[in-house]
Amino acid sequence: MIVAGVDIGSQTSKAVVLKGDNIYRSALFPTGTDLYAVARKVVENAAQELGHTFDDIQRIVATGYGRVSVPFAADTMSEITCNAVGAYHFYPDARVIVDIGGQDSKAIKLNDEGKVVNFAMNDKCAAGTGRFLEVAAETLGVSVAELAALSRRSGNRIRISSTCTVFAQTEIVSLIARRTPQEDIAAGLHESIVSRVYGLVNSIGPGDTGRVVMTGGVARNDAIVSLLANAMKREITVPEDPQIVTAFGAALVARSRVGSE
Amino acid sequence: MQLILDKLKLRYSRRNTEIVKWKDDTGGKVIGCLPMYFPEEFVHAAGLLPVTLFGDDGPIAHANRHLMTNACGAVRGTFEDLLLGKYDDLDGVAAVLICDQVRFFFQVWSLDHEFDFFHQMWRPFNIDQSSRPFLLNELKRLKSALEEFTGNAITPDKLCESIRLFNETRSLMRALNDIRKTRPGLLKASDLVKAIAAGMIMPKEEYNSILKELITQTRDSDYESGEKPKVMVCGHPCGMPEEEILDLIEEMGAVIVGDDFFTGSRYFSVDVPCSGDPVEAYADFLLNLIPCTTYHYPQNWIGQDRSISTYGDYVADHVRENGIQGVILLREMYCDPFDLEFVMLKKKLEERNIVHITLNTGHEAGSLETQRTRIQGYLEMLNC
Ligand code: SF4
Repeated sequence: MIVAGVDIGSQTSKAVVLKGDNIYRSALFPTGTDLYAVARKVVENAAQELGHTFDDIQRIVATGYGRVSVPFAADTMSEITCNAVGAYHFYPDARVIVDIGGQDSKAIKLNDEGKVVNFAMNDKCAAGTGRFLEVAAETLGVSVAELAALSRRSGNRIRISSTCTVFAQTEIVSLIARRTPQEDIAAGLHESIVSRVYGLVNSIGPGDTGRVVMTGGVARNDAIVSLLANAMKREITVPEDPQIVTAFGAALVARSRVGSE
Repeated sequence: MQLILDKLKLRYSRRNTEIVKWKDDTGGKVIGCLPMYFPEEFVHAAGLLPVTLFGDDGPIAHANRHLMTNACGAVRGTFEDLLLGKYDDLDGVAAVLICDQVRFFFQVWSLDHEFDFFHQMWRPFNIDQSSRPFLLNELKRLKSALEEFTGNAITPDKLCESIRLFNETRSLMRALNDIRKTRPGLLKASDLVKAIAAGMIMPKEEYNSILKELITQTRDSDYESGEKPKVMVCGHPCGMPEEEILDLIEEMGAVIVGDDFFTGSRYFSVDVPCSGDPVEAYADFLLNLIPCTTYHYPQNWIGQDRSISTYGDYVADHVRENGIQGVILLREMYCDPFDLEFVMLKKKLEERNIVHITLNTGHEAGSLETQRTRIQGYLEMLNC
């Protein structure tokens, strides 16, 4: 049985094509403006990686903010459920998932069966998301990866008071003008994003047992992961490929629904 | 059925021009009443047409200059309409001072605009018998003010007649609401709130006959029952809940079978008693409405059966009694009475194992796409 999950995020589109229980390949492209085209392309690519074609896929589930623009998907499902299904598959002891994507962040609480029992999403702007770091890195003239490295070298983390991405940019410019060391600005930016995400995690009542898993593109930023782990006073597990967990969950949902109609 | 619903929705959307038309046709006078709980029957018994004022939900270009930054949507929207001259054809305005925001900004209205009739009615915030004499006094003060303005005496007979008419409206609204409980999904929630709101801006005599026809047609409509999760939507104390949110909830696969909106159950759940002195009866009515976040219930704070949230109990009981699977809380931004109750309400729902979600609503509350994800995620949680 070959199925696929496609996750059309605001910044990147991901697909996982799954064969049988455990054989899978994934693909990832920037989302751009033509959601249909990118959805098709990303699924085709993942299928090719697996030595198959698009037509071999029996069922596709779409998720992510662009899920409604994937006409070839049999179903759509929210990224909350797909992320939970994906993370629980890799870590059956996962009870809290923190997902920080391009333009949103989520905290999800699971019960012992892997069902979502509570979740929260960032309110209405890019504060506490990957976009915040991207804008900040651009303003400092470094890459996001360099920003994380810079932050680790800081000896005097400064406080970024604006949580709004646009206002934070202005604040960074004025800090640069005051010759604040880049390392300290970078550390402040990481702290800012983590304080937002920590608030989000707390709002779901994370409890104090069970594994905490972090997914989404920002999970690759180890400075963010360790700051959040410190704030939560818990270890955080990052899957090998944190960006495809939601698409993987969508593929698992597709698999469970093959032949259901 | 849909034709009548569309007609009522149109009347609602043209509410300000309808006032001019009614005045031209009848030569009568119109009093604008701010949400919530204004004793419209008194206005009607004085020979005037009471219309509820619903603010515009579009961008606020003028009101922000005069209001505090944390003014709620209902306050901003109505004030914007006032400044845009949309209430120029009203002969008077009146409000029950239900919260600090209304108290403050309604006084600002009187500075910005001169109306022939302007009345502020105080009401107790504690719901218990010790509040009754004060409430009674306020109702008598309203009656005298209306009598003085119109020169018409509001006799007990006239007031009883108006109460009977408005009770009929409430009972018809309840009948319509019952249909959505017994035939979930037949009436869209966004249609229903507008159909109810139309009754708050039209003459009740005309509205009641339209509603009777709507109920007949709705009962006769073909209906296919489905297995969709039933939800209750609550919060959003004043004004009109966002149509897009209600539609999203139902498009995503749930049916809304209960609410506590001002343009819903809050308006029509309880009737005014028709026996005895009508002013006294009205005071009892106001003390026996369904629980509301703008009231306090001190009797529940003391003694053994105390509750942390009378409102929360009401919501939880309603859910359990009506076989509802979950609650969607519309948290109107900057509504302090709802916000103050919110934490206790959530605690109550958690205690009673009621699966719920909160959506922030109101002016500038965030993108619909994010709400779509939240709603879908929540409904998937209910279905699991
Ligand atoms: S929405 Fe809340 S704050 Fe606004 S007028 Fe109504 S009760 Fe007052």
